[in-house]
Amino acid sequence: MTMKQASEALANKTVTSVELTQSYLQRIKEKDVEIHAYLEVFESHALEQAKASDERRAGGEVLSEIDGIPLAIKDNMLIEGEHATGGSKILEGYVAPYDATVIQKLKAAGAVFLGRVNMDEFAMGSSTERSAYGITRNPVDLERVPGGSSGGSSAAVAGDLCVAALGSDTGGSIRQPAAFTGIVGLKPSYGTVSRYGLMAMASSLDQIGPMTKTVEDAAMLYQVIRGEDAHDQTTVNTPAFRFEKRTDLKGVRIGIPKQAWGEGMTPGVRQECGAALEKLKELGAEMVEIDLPYMDEALAVYYVLMPCEVSANISRFDGIRYGLRAPGLPLLETYGQSRLQGLGEEVRRRVMLGTYALSRGYYDAYYRKARKVQTLIRRAYTAAFEGVDVIVTPTTPSPAFKIGEKIHDPLAMYLEDIYTVGVNVAGIPAVSVPCGKTDGLPVGLQFIGAQFKDDQLLSIASAFESAS
Amino acid sequence: MALNRTDIIRLAELSRLALTEDEMSRMEQTIDPILNYVGRLGEVNTDGIPETESFEDARALRVDEAIPASQSTHDEIVANFPDKKDGLLRAPAVFDHPKS
Repeated sequence: MTMKQASEALANKTVTSVELTQSYLQRIKEKDVEIHAYLEVFESHALEQAKASDERRAGGEVLSEIDGIPLAIKDNMLIEGEHATGGSKILEGYVAPYDATVIQKLKAAGAVFLGRVNMDEFAMGSSTERSAYGITRNPVDLERVPGGSSGGSSAAVAGDLCVAALGSDTGGSIRQPAAFTGIVGLKPSYGTVSRYGLMAMASSLDQIGPMTKTVEDAAMLYQVIRGEDAHDQTTVNTPAFRFEKRTDLKGVRIGIPKQAWGEGMTPGVRQECGAALEKLKELGAEMVEIDLPYMDEALAVYYVLMPCEVSANISRFDGIRYGLRAPGLPLLETYGQSRLQGLGEEVRRRVMLGTYALSRGYYDAYYRKARKVQTLIRRAYTAAFEGVDVIVTPTTPSPAFKIGEKIHDPLAMYLEDIYTVGVNVAGIPAVSVPCGKTDGLPVGLQFIGAQFKDDQLLSIASAFESAS
Repeated sequence: MALNRTDIIRLAELSRLALTEDEMSRMEQTIDPILNYVGRLGEVNTDGIPETESFEDARALRVDEAIPASQSTHDEIVANFPDKKDGLLRAPAVFDHPKS
């Protein structure tokens, strides 16, 4: 059931929130044994929230369009009084002492929280194989990964184990899992959604966003969570959000960057995404080949800036104030052993990479250089958007890979992000929309928008979806 | 540039990470290809190009003032301490052999 359908069914009183929540809890019991999207189901709390929503509605009070709708939350966002682990052993048993801003907003809108869903540890990974709490399987093909790091969210939405979910995206962690499981995933413009209460990975790149069954649902959920927040100084006051469901693309100029459509993608992805371009043309869009340089460099910039920020952000997990502490050791050994026992290898690798790139003698060559190339990348996108409304690329070079296929080759895993990271480096919005299947596996098409034009981006993506 | 075992040990120390022997060799093998990949940035001409600014205006600045937390928030934070005594966080000694 889509969010729009659920919202209408609740409004027409053809279903109650308790019934809806119960049906999802039942589905989770039946299906999630094999998928393992959920790390914890908040059964009694969810039913209480649903009951409260039904009582409000019966009394003539409805908080929002999403009042009473059951959602899944990625395990790196804090819900007061619930466990939150970030997929890491170091936070096993941690209980969130406050609500993340997005959770506060969802509560104020009347949402129901079904549970917290799996992820690569502290959002570092592209397959959800890097969770300390077991892997999540792709509902489309159980032998394959659901993408990552928001793989619990993508699997929960694709497996219909929730109406919609929240994910977070630092280099593609919403869009790639959306593509792998055949759902919609929006990485909003940086600064439009508060990161307060989101476990920080790379603070200048992290952004929370909706993972949903339709573009319209993504717009609905985004509208609830967006907005300036005094608790996150990087949030900005942006113009009103005006999403419009479209069925044609007359007057829309779509940029096709030649760098993204060259080598590197599988024939199946090329075929499905190529057919999607024809569809966009049929809808009336004007297709413009554009030059978007620095695509390979964007990945390199990302794999310098991200680990640098990771090394700083992960330093808080030292065994002192919360989480796992290796007992009975002097201070320095307490740090080292707690981080050995509590943090997984990929997190540790990125901490070391970041420490290296920030260390004396290398700071200029890596960090400072990456910040300069980042400026060039931002300028390239700004220049591109002078001539087009959106840019379209595949979301990923290949469909969902097999479990275990890339786990021992970090660089191969990083190359998964080639089409998605530029968007984070530039701070602009992008959405992955399903565009057909290859060998039974979903393919995602990525629409990239200009900064703060998230509404225009989603409106254009909705036209493509309506024709699919 | 190739990282040798001494570099890895030094990096682990700086990162406050203890590494197992196995992990040490895996780090040696996996970090190098990544550094080689990002090394391509050195070929980009950035003469006269400024670094990207994270915070473009004074929005990033605010008064640094303590906001009182509720008793329940206080209790939840204390409950998360891995080791505590009388409601206070207990941490290992900074010095191995403190002066008596």
